[in-house]
Parts: sequence; structure tokens; C-alpha cells
Amino acid sequence: MKGLLRLYPRSWRERYGREMEVLLEQMPGELGVGLDLVVGAAAAYAVVIRGNRILSAAGAYLHGVCVAVLLQAIAFVTFILSAQGSAASPAVAELGPIRFAVFTRPHLFGGLGALGSAVWTRTAAIEWLLGAAVLAMLIAALALVLASPRLLKSLR
Amino acid sequence: MRRQSAAVSLVLLALLAIVIAQASLVALLFVFSLVLKLRLGIEIGGGAMLMGSQLGYGQPQVTLFNAATVASAVLTGGCGVLAAARRFHRWRPDR
Repeated sequence: MKGLLRLYPRSWRERYGREMEVLLEQMPGELGVGLDLVVGAAAAYAVVIRGNRILSAAGAYLHGVCVAVLLQAIAFVTFILSAQGSAASPAVAELGPIRFAVFTRPHLFGGLGALGSAVWTRTAAIEWLLGAAVLAMLIAALALVLASPRLLKSLR
Repeated sequence: MRRQSAAVSLVLLALLAIVIAQASLVALLFVFSLVLKLRLGIEIGGGAMLMGSQLGYGQPQVTLFNAATVASAVLTGGCGVLAAARRFHRWRPDR
């Protein structure tokens, strides 16, 4: 358990390391204590990063990049969901003359008449539900990423 | 000289972060296309890559063009730079 103290910043270890080692010797080596130490290390690093202007800006840069990646993944899944729901084929995402993406449906069931159409509709409904579940998961991940700086701040 | 090399390192690290973010975005889209049973095509410059099952001719296909690739990289970098600039200007030492 003491090995987890190496996860903490050096300045923190110099100041509180010896004290914490004594405390850990008296505590049972449980999983909860280990988890507390890992979360505490993240909070200690957050304090060190916030204390330095350049590090703080670099952390914000990485945070912004993570948010952008999640937003793009959400845009991708939303485009697929709207294309699956629309009657137009192919569905196109474009801005003026610039084309970003195209969604093309197969014409496999086209020759099979009403039966083929019913099979396709059912398959599309299942895939739409799967897409909606993925979208909900991505929105939850985005909310977590957006709230993470405040969560880390509240751990201090 | 030291300040210049620090600035160059900072720019290179920022570009590396964008490259890693774009690679993870492609991996994420690949996983989603597997889950949603799609064939995914991505245009990069003059080339293109198609991801999905070889036997998936009955599957719908999504194609992302060069404009989407470029816009994605610009958006990723732009969001990062905006967030960094905002934090840099609003930074105050902890009391």
C-alpha cells in the first residue's frame, strides 16, 4: 500500500510522505484505502498543476482536446441515427458546396418486395436503438469530462 | 534560445496531442461502426481506408470525406487552444 505514495507529486511526498507512511502502517491494507490513495494522488496533482500558469494552460488544452473528440463522436452517431431515420438515400452531411459525410443504405432487400422491406425496417429499428444507447453513453461521458475539473477541485 | 526551444517543444507537444486525439477518435468511430454494423470509409488526402467486414456488402456504409478529416483536426486543435488561452488569461494563484 505504501508503494501507492509514489503516485503523489514529489513536493507533496517531501512534506507529508513520512507522516502518511506511519498512518498507512496503522491502517488495514484494504482495497478502499488503495482507491482513496489513488484519488488523493489525482487531487494532489491537480493542486500542483493549478498552481502553475503554464501547466494549468496545458491541462486545459488537453481537456479541450478531449471535449472536442467526444463532441465529434456524438456528431458522428447523431448523423448515423438521423440518416437511419430519414427516407432519403444516400443521406448527406454538407455545408454549402462542402461535403463532409455520406450514409448509403444497401439495396439488398429492394427486389424482395414487402417482406424484404419489413425485415429491413426491423433491422434498422434494432440498430437505431443500439445507436441511441451509444449516443446516451457518449453524452454521459461528455458530462463527466466537463464536470471533472470541478469534481477534482471539490476533492481538495 | 532557451525560450525558443521551449516554444517549439510546446508546439510539437500540442501537435502530438492532436495526432493522438485523432487516432483515438478513429478507433472510437471504428468501434461504433462495428457496434452499429456499418462499413466505415475515411478519406485522408489522396488515399482512403475502408473499415468493416469483407463480407458486409449488405451493410450500410458511412464515408467521411477529406473536408470532414480536415475540419475534425482543426476543431480538435481549436478547442484545445481556446481552452488553454482562456485558462492562461484567467489564471490566478490559489489563495
